[in-house]
Amino acid sequence: MGFMATSIIFFAAGLIASLLVRLCFNRGASTNLFHLTLIITATVCCWMMWAIVYLAQLKPLIVPILSEAE
Amino acid sequence: MKFFNDLPPMDHFRSENMSLVQLIMPVESAQHAVSYLGELGLLQFKDLNGDKSPFQRTFVNQVKRCSEMSRKLRFFADQISKAGVTTYPNPDSEEVIDLEQLEAGRFLGSAQNHLVMAETELVENTYSIKNEDRLSLLEQSMQPEPSKKAGLRFISGIICKSKELIFERMLFRATRGNMFFNQAPAGEQVMDPVSGEMVHKTVFVVFFSGDQARSKILKICQAFGANCYPVPEENNKQKQLTHEVSLRLSELEATLDAGTCHRNKALASIGSQLWNWTIMVKKEKSVYDTLNMLNFDVTKKCLVGEGWCPTFAKPQIKEALHQATIHSNSQVGIIFHDMDSSESPPTYFRTNRFTNAFQEIVDAYGVARFQEANPAVYSVITFPFLFAVMFGDWGHGLCLLFGSLVLILREKKLGSQKLGSFMEIAFGGRYVLLLMAFFSIYCGLIYNEFFSIPFYIFGESAYKCRSTDCSDAQTAGLIKFRDPYPFGVDPKWRGSRSELPFLNSLKMKMSILLGVCQMNLGIILSYFDAKFHGNPLDIQYQFIPQIIFLNSLFGYLALLIVIKWCTGSQADLYHVMIYMFLDPFGNLGENQLFWGQKELQMLLLILAVVAVPWMLFPKPFILKKQHTERFQGRTYGFLGTSEMDLDHEPDSARHQHQEDFNFSEIFVHQMIHSIEFVLGAVSNTASYLRLWALSLAHSELSTVFYEKLLLLAWGYDSIIIRIAGLAVFAFATTFILLMMETLSAFLHALRLHWVEFMNKFYHGDGYKFKPFSFKALADEED
Repeated sequence: MGFMATSIIFFAAGLIASLLVRLCFNRGASTNLFHLTLIITATVCCWMMWAIVYLAQLKPLIVPILSEAE
Repeated sequence: MKFFNDLPPMDHFRSENMSLVQLIMPVESAQHAVSYLGELGLLQFKDLNGDKSPFQRTFVNQVKRCSEMSRKLRFFADQISKAGVTTYPNPDSEEVIDLEQLEAGRFLGSAQNHLVMAETELVENTYSIKNEDRLSLLEQSMQPEPSKKAGLRFISGIICKSKELIFERMLFRATRGNMFFNQAPAGEQVMDPVSGEMVHKTVFVVFFSGDQARSKILKICQAFGANCYPVPEENNKQKQLTHEVSLRLSELEATLDAGTCHRNKALASIGSQLWNWTIMVKKEKSVYDTLNMLNFDVTKKCLVGEGWCPTFAKPQIKEALHQATIHSNSQVGIIFHDMDSSESPPTYFRTNRFTNAFQEIVDAYGVARFQEANPAVYSVITFPFLFAVMFGDWGHGLCLLFGSLVLILREKKLGSQKLGSFMEIAFGGRYVLLLMAFFSIYCGLIYNEFFSIPFYIFGESAYKCRSTDCSDAQTAGLIKFRDPYPFGVDPKWRGSRSELPFLNSLKMKMSILLGVCQMNLGIILSYFDAKFHGNPLDIQYQFIPQIIFLNSLFGYLALLIVIKWCTGSQADLYHVMIYMFLDPFGNLGENQLFWGQKELQMLLLILAVVAVPWMLFPKPFILKKQHTERFQGRTYGFLGTSEMDLDHEPDSARHQHQEDFNFSEIFVHQMIHSIEFVLGAVSNTASYLRLWALSLAHSELSTVFYEKLLLLAWGYDSIIIRIAGLAVFAFATTFILLMMETLSAFLHALRLHWVEFMNKFYHGDGYKFKPFSFKALADEED
């Protein structure tokens, strides 16, 4: 799957998570905003981690050279 | 920007609004009021008698009485534990025990104590006599003709076994060797009346001649605490003595048993109440300590107190005071009103058990200034995330998850019992551990490491051999024939010879990217702080130049990294960055990544160079101009408060600050701040490379344990070696990887937050809200 497709999946997962949290843990406007901040931070962190590792392997400059015991 | 203004205030982001309140209580309802406020636990009293010594305060006698009472209760508790009486604290009996009743109990206790002391001495005596008995047997065997040895006399006694050797040596020296010493162990342990413990004793006999020697020996015996008992020489007399002694012994034992029984009964009856009494006395003492903080207004026959309370708690406090007025049958109600204050209020966050641990992590560095942006809001996610970047292995993550789930599922049980210091820390951080475990599993899946073994969970590898027989796989390597591995690091890298160069490059660049993002978040938080406090100077002359400086250098580096990855260029980024400074006009040649790079670099360099004096110079001069405008003509300072009210308000709320504007101090402060930021931009970005370093260390350690312990042991056929290898592998994984590496990654993630993230916006020089609360007392006791 391509870069854009998986990024959209991450974005959708974040949206679904925030909707679920809003439905299950609705405790007033200020607390909802706090939960939303947590979800957004988590989604951004996870997406960045995946994106960095994916982009690094997109056009690699070196390739695996197997060791002797293979 | 308007979008951010319209949002409701976020929980935990800024500390609660606090009000300085004043309470005026009539004396009869004061104690009830303070007691109920202690139950509520939402008011922090200010000490209005701070300059008075403890003995000058109003309620010093009551405090002394409470201390005495708690001392007696502690004595009781000691006695109970020494007697080995088990008590069952009775939580149901909520009767309010009078202090007089406690006094009666104390009397009984002291009487018991005397009896106990007398008994122990008698016991010692009896045991000694009993042992003398044995000693006489010893004598008999050694001394066949007692009558013949005319001048020879002896002293016999009993001494602690530990002192016996020194005693013997001392006797030898004192009598110049003219003595004969013999000793035998006393057999059973005897209770030493001095220390109240059971010690081993030795029975001894010293033969000597002469009076001087006798007096010397007696003195030495006295000094060493040895008890001397006379033993007659003839056989008949010895038998008589033995008989007498045994009679006395049995009598005393009977008395002792009866006494102990009585004492234990008394202690047991006290013991069930002891816990309640102790708590009650503690509460009373704290109430009096708090009453001592109030000003006693003699003219008006009432107590005046000041304190901080959260604004949301004011109705609850009013209710508690109302209850106190009713219960104390007072005619006059308690007056409760707001006061203005110029000093900074305490910081109070209403945390639940989940956010409590993260808030404590932030508070350990410094308590937030009043209504400053709270980094804990972001740390809830970024701290476990950065931990996981350094710990990434989903096998180890599963172990952490298991451990944290055990702690969380047994929360109620573990919360009520007393834990050891290590378990207490682990229990307090159970939700942190849970989040750390989740993110570790995620990062482990990305790094593709399960106890350092890669898996093909997300599909086929993107690499294959160039030719069908894989002849050059060890020399030229594989080739990439399709899209990159969809999630995480390709499993073919593990074990290859070029694994480390690839992973090192990946992880170093990842650290820089994550670091630049977190530092930018920190600077953006300083913008929101400046906006909240209405400080446009900070925005224009601190936030903007900081953002420009950081992003024109390190944001640009991050951009170059991403472009190099996307285009697959062979440009050397070190070279590009260094020559951006050394030779900005030179040709980039093969290091060109995109069109217009040279011009962009020159622009960014100029922006960075302009940003430095921008954050350094304007702010102090503008502050000086503002100050002279505000205090035009008033070159001398204020003399103090000019409005005098008829009723004398306490002067704590009426500090008038001397408006002393020291320009040089402000300028130096700004210079330090700017230099710290500029140099810190480089050093902090480099500091994020620890994410790479620790993740490499973790990966290498787990590889070594897997290959050199488990695989090596599994290579043999014998089952014993296999099991031994498995055991050593499990041991090494638990102690080195799960404990030491967890602590290490925890520490480094903490450092990254405390220093690199929080020094962009956090001041952390506030003080924590410590309300007067009985619950807090109980926690302190434990």
